[in-house]
Amino acid sequence: MMKINPVLQKEMKIRMRGWRSAGMIGIYLVFMALTASFIMIMSRESYYRVTFDPELALGSYTGLAIMQFVLISFISPALTTGAISGEREKQTLDLLLCTRMTPLSIVTGKLFASISQIILLIIASLPIFSIVFLFGGISIKELLELFGFFIIIAITYGSIGIFYSSYFKRTTAANVLAYGTIAFLCFGTIFLTIFYIGIVYNYDYRGFFPLLYINPIIGFSFMLWEQFSGGSINLFPGLFMGTGISTYNISPWIVNLVFNIVLSILLIFLSANKINPLRIRRRTLFSSSKKSLNNIQYKKTKR
Amino acid sequence: MLKINGLTKSYGIFTAVDGLDLNVPKGEIYGFVGPNGAGKTTTMKIICGLLPADKGQVSVAGIDVIKDVRKAKELIGYMPDFFGVYDNLKVTEYLDFYASIYNLNPRDRKRICDDLLELVDLQDKRDAYVDSLSRGMKQRLCLARSLVHNPELLVLDEPASGMDPRARVEMKEILRTLKDLGKTIMISSHILPELAELCTSIGIIDRGKIVISGTVDEIMQQVYSKRFIKVRIRGNMEEAVKVMKESPLITNINKGDNFIEAGFEGNEEEMAMLLKELVTRDIPVISFGQMDGNLEDVFMKVTKGDEA
Ligand SMILES: Nc1ncnc2c1ncn2[C@@H]1O[C@H](COP(=O)(O)OP(=O)(O)OP(=O)(O)O)[C@@H](O)[C@H]1O
Ligand SMILES: [Mg+2]
Repeated sequence: MMKINPVLQKEMKIRMRGWRSAGMIGIYLVFMALTASFIMIMSRESYYRVTFDPELALGSYTGLAIMQFVLISFISPALTTGAISGEREKQTLDLLLCTRMTPLSIVTGKLFASISQIILLIIASLPIFSIVFLFGGISIKELLELFGFFIIIAITYGSIGIFYSSYFKRTTAANVLAYGTIAFLCFGTIFLTIFYIGIVYNYDYRGFFPLLYINPIIGFSFMLWEQFSGGSINLFPGLFMGTGISTYNISPWIVNLVFNIVLSILLIFLSANKINPLRIRRRTLFSSSKKSLNNIQYKKTKR
Repeated sequence: MLKINGLTKSYGIFTAVDGLDLNVPKGEIYGFVGPNGAGKTTTMKIICGLLPADKGQVSVAGIDVIKDVRKAKELIGYMPDFFGVYDNLKVTEYLDFYASIYNLNPRDRKRICDDLLELVDLQDKRDAYVDSLSRGMKQRLCLARSLVHNPELLVLDEPASGMDPRARVEMKEILRTLKDLGKTIMISSHILPELAELCTSIGIIDRGKIVISGTVDEIMQQVYSKRFIKVRIRGNMEEAVKVMKESPLITNINKGDNFIEAGFEGNEEEMAMLLKELVTRDIPVISFGQMDGNLEDVFMKVTKGDEA
């Protein structure tokens, strides 16, 4: 029989209690509703048109998808940066570690609690999202792709949060580093690409620069771009966007998803290893010099 | 039940536990006493699989803690010296959470939680949020938590710190009940007298080493294999000290205002001879007797402070 992870169960209980979770859903829906009404206002003139308007369909779908992407990017790391460091600050981590739970199940329990919260947000926003069907042109497959992408992104950002949470004592430090890392993935990679191409190729670079595969924003854009088969453009040197072009065999957004999954798994294992009190510590190169230090100390402490 | 052999643990260049040996048979309440920084918490954490050992063996009910931590953890209930509770959880939910970690069905869990709340006398707080409990209550709750999986060995790190005298008495009652249920208990403290009446045996640890261990009586005997005598006199102090120093049986004389304390390595007959000598030399003796050592003295004698 499959047993629900006890940490996941308890986390859900705690998180759903009180106003914080309800407040978060509320604010989330306000942002989504604002985006939707903005799209509605923009489309008022064409509202009574009976014919299918591809531009509007694209506009409402991408508008809501981008809003959701931004919201999830902000929320999901915040849900996990306190996962381990918070337990440490509250002095409850040892109480968990002295039970039969493995460090890995503690970490995954925490992570999936926050993923569940993100899924809850996505589900709560479905009624608003359904306005895209008003304009037609969106299939269920595309919606599933989109939500799948969101969930993977939530897992990735959540794992980044957990990783820093287990490596740093303070939740504040974990927060700063998690958002810093995400900012690097999203923007740093673009600057590096342009910088590198500027120096090495003197901005004369056609095609897709490999570093951008790890950029979630570009992965996300590619997915939307392909869903609407929007032709091809060269946005900036190194970022050639196009469909069915031979510069890449697999769509960059698929590569990005795979990268995200691999990164998440790696970070989850690293976090579990970090909180494992009996983890195998690598014997460092300094072990010999440590020994001689030991002797010196011995002389000093001998009273 | 609990066997430790040559346990060593260093933090960097500092050795916190240094070749420690101890053995706690099943059903004992073992008092683990030592001054601050002696290595009690470190030892206990290693037993519970919360710290890696550098060297040595630890086994609980025949299971090697270092090799087979997960199995050992099922046999050990641990209560740390400092711990916190989750906010937003009620007392029953708190216990149920820890119980849910072990493969128990919800009905058994509920029964166990009820029993444990009764044991630690927190039934009327069952629906209170855990962070609203007083410190003493939290400690009792934490003790209940360490019992959810019915462990064989309880490792309690200063469970009574911060408790009022009444709560301490109650805690001792709970521990006696647990002993009657067949549990083996290891309990740490700074204060030897506090543990003396509760524990069946005691080990005193100092700077990572067990300096003395055994039952309370055995320890008293070992420490006081040498007698201590106290002589109260009226005046003529100098002469009295001189007389006593002449006796080869007297060691380390300690002079007070109107009394002299000294170690005495002789039998009762020789003690009588010493008294006779004092009296014949015209020392105005008021009283002459053997001192009873108390546990506080034992502790101070066998452990050395930092400045020792
Ligand atoms: N994480 C750590 N890093 C470095 N040194 C440590 C660490 N934990 C403990 N020590 C050192 O190890 C020694 C033993 O500490 P330990 O906590 O085991 O003592 P204790 O007997 O429990 O003391 P107390 O009665 O104060 O609780 C102390 O000198 C302490 O400074
Ligand atoms: Mg301690």
